[in-house]
Amino acid sequence: MSHRLRRRGAIVGVGASAQGKVPGSTALSLAVDAFKRALDDSGLRKNQIDGLLTLRGQTSPEGEQNYLRLGETLGINPRWTGGMHMGGATAGALIQQAVLAIDAGMATHVACIYGDAAATGGGVFNRAQGWGDSSSIWGFMAAAANSAMTASRHMALYGTTSRQLGEVAVACRHHASLNPDAVMRQPITVDDHQASRWIVEPLHLLDCCLVSDGGVCVIVSSAEHARDLRQPVVPILGMGQAHTTQTLGREDWWYAPHQKAAVQDAYAMAGVGASDIDVAQLYDNFTISVLLWLEHAGFCAPGEAGAFVEGGRIRLGGQLPVNTAGGNLSESFMEGWLHIVEGVRQMRGQCGPRQVPGAEICLTTGRGMALNCANALVLGKG
Amino acid sequence: MTESAKPESAVPETGMPEATQPESVMPPYNKPLPVLTDDNRPFWDACRGGRLSFQCCSGCGHLRYPISPFCPECLSADFAWNPVSGRGTVFASVVFHQAYHPGFKGEVPYNVALIQLEEGPRMYSNVVGVPPREVRVGDLVEVLFDPVTPEITVPRFRPRGTAT
Repeated sequence: MSHRLRRRGAIVGVGASAQGKVPGSTALSLAVDAFKRALDDSGLRKNQIDGLLTLRGQTSPEGEQNYLRLGETLGINPRWTGGMHMGGATAGALIQQAVLAIDAGMATHVACIYGDAAATGGGVFNRAQGWGDSSSIWGFMAAAANSAMTASRHMALYGTTSRQLGEVAVACRHHASLNPDAVMRQPITVDDHQASRWIVEPLHLLDCCLVSDGGVCVIVSSAEHARDLRQPVVPILGMGQAHTTQTLGREDWWYAPHQKAAVQDAYAMAGVGASDIDVAQLYDNFTISVLLWLEHAGFCAPGEAGAFVEGGRIRLGGQLPVNTAGGNLSESFMEGWLHIVEGVRQMRGQCGPRQVPGAEICLTTGRGMALNCANALVLGKG
Repeated sequence: MTESAKPESAVPETGMPEATQPESVMPPYNKPLPVLTDDNRPFWDACRGGRLSFQCCSGCGHLRYPISPFCPECLSADFAWNPVSGRGTVFASVVFHQAYHPGFKGEVPYNVALIQLEEGPRMYSNVVGVPPREVRVGDLVEVLFDPVTPEITVPRFRPRGTAT
């Protein structure tokens, strides 16, 4: 039986500012730039946007009032608005909220927006984790900490190797080399990965995402409205999310079991399974994250993702091209927002040399906070 | 990691082994310290006394960590502080090669491990007394107490044999 929300929403506009180091930019200016590009991409007029959902940048001085600041700046008085802070899971969560608002008749065209000047504006990604008796007492802090623990455990349980993690970095960089908008385009090898310095062992520098300035906007409308707009329709076939709020209290938290639940819900709504996915944009704050997603999304069994990524299987031309624009690792670190942009462009067939031929179904995933929050979208064609 | 200033007044009366590295003239302790509150003070007082203790729910018996005013299983606010053995295994282990806080600049590379305690809880700590890269998942460890200021004694872990 078809799920009521399957194909209910569609992504009708995507836009991204310049990425990387953008001197003179602010979180606000990057967000506005992305919005203008997405609006132009969609063919909508600004006064048609009646929903505004935002993720504040680390460098947004207004903090949690980011949605108000952006609305004021853009001259939008929305029917539906708000902000959400789930790190790399926010983009997908906001898009899901947009679909729900549209389905409920409480908004028609919802702009989801993020901007951050993290590279030049003093980002704070390397803060200590958690609260209370912070793990920083023991020197456990910064963005790489949790993923390094996950990698340690995955390696010990399953024999996953650093060179296998390197395959993820190499694939993302290869894809970025085909993307003129990517920040890091110089191809690398697994040996380069191995030679890069340790950050938090077992993670090398080339296991880590970038820190970037940039803005991204994704406009969501109903599937009916999408047909009248400028771009080929990219329906949201399925969506799901799940969260593990407990960390130390859950023995399997390190493995992010909620990722599996999020993907399964998205598959069920879409009526698809792993074998139907033609291309995947999997959240990659660190290389190990891609391995977890491959296992949780059912492309391979638990513990087998290390072997799965060998032999070019996740590169363009391989069995399952992953992060075809370069991902957080090599395109730009936009908290996973660009994964959705790339998924939309793959479904439209607009990716030029990095287009996956004949791709009809794309999985995009996001994960944020201390591995806590996860979500997934299944995108399709017309 | 074991920068034991060891002021005489703060040396715990304990059966637990103390930090093993040789003393030398140390600068003031400048790493992050816990902020003591009514919730966590008993934990840190126990560490100062050479005991690792966790909250045991009076409602359902669940032994919990992190420290919380409520049991995450049954939501009871009643609990007692129960000492544990201090024995555990390494659940996961990483080595910081980059200092994200000025206090750790002279420490890198240093180990941080997730410790699975025999009684159930898991906690972050440092495995000391062995080179940081030689700590392996599954290694058997036991707690030791590192008095870093007169008020705060940080629990860390060191390898133990099987015959404890």
